[in-house]
Amino acid sequence: MKLLIVEDQPKTGHYLRQGLAEAGFTTELVADGTSGQHLALTGDYDLLILDVMLPGRDGWQILQAVRSAGLDIPVLFLTARDAVEDRVHGLELGADDYLVKPFAFSELLARVRSLLRRGSSSPQETALQLADLRLDLIRRRVERDGQRIDLTAKEFSLLELLLRRQGEVLPKSLIASQVWDMNFDSDTNIIEVAIRRLRLKVDDNFPNKLIHTVRGMGYVLEERVN
Amino acid sequence: MIKRLSLASRLALLFAACTAVVSLLAGVLFNRASEAHFIELDQQLLETRLGALRSTLQGVDTPQLFSQREAQLRTELDHQPDLTLRISAAGQRWFDGAPGVTLPESPGLHRLQHAGTDYRVYNAPLSAGQPGSAQLSLMLDITHHQHFLQRMQHLIWLTVGLSALATALLGAWAARSGLRPLRRMGEVAAGVSAHSLTQRLPQEQMPAELAELAQAFNAMLGRLDDAFQRLSAFSADIAHELRTPLSNLLTQTQVILTQPRPLEDYREALHSNLEELQWMAQLVNDMLYLAKADHGLLMPRREPLALAEEVDALLEFFALLAEDAQISLMREGTAHITGDRGMLRRALSNLLDNALRFTPTGGEVRVRIEDGVRLTVENTGEGIAPQLLPKLFDRFYRADPARREGSSEHAGLGLAITQSIVRAHGGRIFCESGPGWTRFVVELPQPD
Repeated sequence: MKLLIVEDQPKTGHYLRQGLAEAGFTTELVADGTSGQHLALTGDYDLLILDVMLPGRDGWQILQAVRSAGLDIPVLFLTARDAVEDRVHGLELGADDYLVKPFAFSELLARVRSLLRRGSSSPQETALQLADLRLDLIRRRVERDGQRIDLTAKEFSLLELLLRRQGEVLPKSLIASQVWDMNFDSDTNIIEVAIRRLRLKVDDNFPNKLIHTVRGMGYVLEERVN
Repeated sequence: MIKRLSLASRLALLFAACTAVVSLLAGVLFNRASEAHFIELDQQLLETRLGALRSTLQGVDTPQLFSQREAQLRTELDHQPDLTLRISAAGQRWFDGAPGVTLPESPGLHRLQHAGTDYRVYNAPLSAGQPGSAQLSLMLDITHHQHFLQRMQHLIWLTVGLSALATALLGAWAARSGLRPLRRMGEVAAGVSAHSLTQRLPQEQMPAELAELAQAFNAMLGRLDDAFQRLSAFSADIAHELRTPLSNLLTQTQVILTQPRPLEDYREALHSNLEELQWMAQLVNDMLYLAKADHGLLMPRREPLALAEEVDALLEFFALLAEDAQISLMREGTAHITGDRGMLRRALSNLLDNALRFTPTGGEVRVRIEDGVRLTVENTGEGIAPQLLPKLFDRFYRADPARREGSSEHAGLGLAITQSIVRAHGGRIFCESGPGWTRFVVELPQPD
């Protein structure tokens, strides 16, 4: 997956690039709008990450050029200004998502992955699996190592999310948004409690733990071999 | 030009114009009345004289008979110097006191001016009711009346002019002294600056018309003062709130860098830094949200919402926390409103979060929705002192002063954000409390 980052602040650009590269993406970084637009139009990228305020051409202009060239690449905006008109403007021009600075890197990563997944519609799955954990989407049943695990509806949704995005660190805000439809930064520890309860049922009775906490970033479901 | 005139000059000119119009009107009416009165007097006088002349010339119907009586007539006329007489019959003049003067022919009263003298002319037959009777024309000198009327007119013009001038001067003085409170208001307004917002207009001394303005002005000063106090307190609070995490970051980073350490220590330090940074990012985001609200940029979408559904979704979200603390969550009633789902969920989640935090183990949090539209979040637990109730929605206010500042918990902006959202929806929020209970009341407008 090839990403283009157009960001004029060197430090931000550098860390974005490093973080995304370490998450497994091929990334290219430019610091001005003019070369950003040139690359966006010629470089065959899977996703564009654009800052709004740029030297040369601003993010809106790049987006406009991309869309009028008939390219349907997903575009994620980074903005320091959370003005309503900015948002409306961006959506009118065809931006796919936006993040307001300051944002958490885990949030950015989660959004990038969502946008990249959006295009490729995966075939209708009937079950999700990791190691000996199996989630049956049709009968809405969960089994681990052949044992039936009883989950509440929300616990089931939470586990389904973790399984669908296994290996990805999911920030609390994304979990709250996907499972409970709460789309605001909440500083309550509800998600912690929810994860703790899910662990109690899914992990506690098994030696091989699957749900992991990534401190300060979120939660990830993966098989770790030690 | 007119717009530039001062209020006092404008009033003075208006007073003068009014006085001039009124006195002119009065003068003209009086003049007319005098004139009518004089005509009446003249007519009466002429009737009397006519009667006398008729009796003197009784039975005279030929010039011969007239010449016999002429001497008697002349004697009589000598006693009346203001009267001139002409007697004519069938084109002949029997007697003419004013030869060469053309008199009106028709019978009745007329006015005539001749050689600088004004006359009232009265034509009547010598013997009333006899056709072909000789015609009497009486000319009464009315110069003194006319003089009187002219003097009257001069006097009227003089009065109009002088009274207008006098009222202009008096009016200017009166307007100036009447407008003195306005000048004082201007002086106070001019003296207002960020440092002297405490000055107020003395409302009791203001005249009734200005009292309202003074009150509005004072209220405006009050609001300005309040907003300014809040703003300066807010800036001080921001600096204060950021100081703790910043000093943590600085100290920790410097200490960790003073000597080589095991990798695990660096990782631990970065994690700790991350927590502080996340707290700061949350604080900045919350403050930006509030700043947006302050600038009126919080524009809620208007979608129809069933409040009960929204509350139930939130209660489901908070259920885990409540279960952990053994607090029961309840919702009763329902209502429909128009509003922004995301914003309202955020607002209500702050209220629920707040309620849960102050409810003791085993207590309950009850959400009541009433038509009208009123939503209350009530929790059991220690009440809040009445003097603290209005402060709850202040930024950075914490009900529990012992709560460590810079803790990973709330910065104390939650209720302020809730209030901003409720206000952006055209509603209001307040808090009530008593022994053993606390209740937040949100009132929202009816959907249209």
